[in-house]
Amino acid sequence: MQGIAEKKKADMQGIVVKKRHGFLLEMKRNYPYYFMMLPAIILLFVFAYLPMPGIIIAFQDFNFVDKFKSPFVGLDNFKFYFTSSYAFRTTFNTIFINMNYLFWTTLVSLLFAILLNEIRLKLAKKFYQNLMFLPFFLSAVVVGKFVTELVFSDHNGVANQIVKLFGHEPIVWSQTAAPWAWIIIGAHVWQAAGYSTIIYLATITGIDDHLFEAASLDGANRWQQIRQILLPLLTPMIIILCLLSIGGMLRGDFGTIYSIIGDNGLLFEHTDVIDTYVFRAIKGAADFGTTAAVGLYQSVVGFILVYGSNALVKKYDKDSALF
Amino acid sequence: MIRPSFTGKAMQLLIHLILLAFALSCVYPFILTFMASISSEKSILDDGYQLVPKAFSLLAYRVVFNDQFIYSGYAVSIIVTVAGTAMSLLICGMAGYAMSNKRVKYRNGIAVYFYLTMVFGAGLLPWYLVCTQYLHLQNTIMALILPGLVSPFNVFLMRNYFASIPSELVESAEIDGCGVMRTFLQIIIPLSLPMMATITLFIGLAYWNDWASALWFIDNPKLYPLQYMLYRIESLMSFVKQYGSMGDMTMPTETFQLATLFVTIGPIIFLYPFIQRYFVKGIMIGAVKG
Repeated sequence: MQGIAEKKKADMQGIVVKKRHGFLLEMKRNYPYYFMMLPAIILLFVFAYLPMPGIIIAFQDFNFVDKFKSPFVGLDNFKFYFTSSYAFRTTFNTIFINMNYLFWTTLVSLLFAILLNEIRLKLAKKFYQNLMFLPFFLSAVVVGKFVTELVFSDHNGVANQIVKLFGHEPIVWSQTAAPWAWIIIGAHVWQAAGYSTIIYLATITGIDDHLFEAASLDGANRWQQIRQILLPLLTPMIIILCLLSIGGMLRGDFGTIYSIIGDNGLLFEHTDVIDTYVFRAIKGAADFGTTAAVGLYQSVVGFILVYGSNALVKKYDKDSALF
Repeated sequence: MIRPSFTGKAMQLLIHLILLAFALSCVYPFILTFMASISSEKSILDDGYQLVPKAFSLLAYRVVFNDQFIYSGYAVSIIVTVAGTAMSLLICGMAGYAMSNKRVKYRNGIAVYFYLTMVFGAGLLPWYLVCTQYLHLQNTIMALILPGLVSPFNVFLMRNYFASIPSELVESAEIDGCGVMRTFLQIIIPLSLPMMATITLFIGLAYWNDWASALWFIDNPKLYPLQYMLYRIESLMSFVKQYGSMGDMTMPTETFQLATLFVTIGPIIFLYPFIQRYFVKGIMIGAVKG
């Protein structure tokens, strides 16, 4: 109402009201912009906000007849999850696998970026870079098939061919749980290294050459230059990439892990993450309340991690913060 | 500029060896898959996968291309990728553009609305229930397209890029009588092509490689996208068994898997040389800016 009144006044006096624009006036002036945002707003509402009240399931004994009006059971679902052996196992696996993703991907791609930068043959540099980037284009299923069919299949995979070459008995991979967390981590690093290598290489290329020239005049060798100039200048990028991926730490990497492990219960001890646990529970139509409780736990911890890591990014480099 | 390099010949050789080893490990699975898929089933069962096939056979490919699901898989994947990418680009682009204009009063509030979904999710189960119980998306092709349409991250990327375009350009276009939408499509988009191309490729790749949506929502084999079909290959194996029982050859179950694998990654391998450098360029732009 106020908006209209103000607008009328403004129209009569022939001036633009600068101080306070009412909602309706704003809509009238900029409606094309709001229309442009509308599809995205609606889609987000449906797929992100509409499910949010569904968190209520975490406190209910959910059934498909009453749906969201199922009877309340308080914190029983949380109790059930946190007192079961699953809670520790899935949380530990999720964090363990993700920490290693982060650590090894950073280390390997940093190494490759520095090595690529040292190469004098331009053609070779391009060649390596192009091949390294290739796995990034593959879907989780294809990576999963490569891992389970080609390399670690029980009877004729490459890993067992090597094992046999050294005169050992072939390993029944599908029943040996211990190595799988590392196999998953290896597959991820293999797939993601090329991408981060390019990011680091781009940062290195952006460094002023004069710094290296000056250092070499002062008698610094290549290794000293890398340690004293290259690494310190790369640090902001390293920190930002790391902090950004911390946010997703409790979300795991469902696609890769599930396409490699699937429903092979023998391997769960070392590979069952929160997402795969929730997925099995939903698909198996098991205890929905517990599943939702786990999802809520995951969201809350994820939220804290995202928020915390963003606050850290902000502290370190304001421009790189997400929000 | 040529950077004086201080590494000796031996060091250069070592660097080349390390990088070559990793680079080869990246193509090795492709070559091995292809070579094994054109081997005879018997040679794989006897000797395992070999880089040089001992006995040559195209039987697996004949079976794959006889399987109707390969064609429907391709159709579903192509439809989902093309439609999803086009819609996502338009929707995210429009939202990002509107948010980048300083004249829009509520843009910051709306940005918060977008960004909240990045940090807080309801969890998989409520999301799954909304999609299946209320929107009835299960076993529709929309289930593969709709949930991934809006990526707040992409919206913010685009908003930041659009915001770097001088606002005088927009103003002068509007003085010349250009509507908002026309300014966006005919002035802003052409000015943002490198960024738009990169985001297009990223969205397209995400749609093409998506299989989890099918895992959640699709039970009808005719609606399986390629990636999910690959995942469910065991269930398609019944077809192979049928085929195999007709002749007196060994059933090509192993090679059938690998041939299907190769058929699904084929398009990426052939497109890779063309699109790869746009990716690199796009990543470089983003990285150097940051």
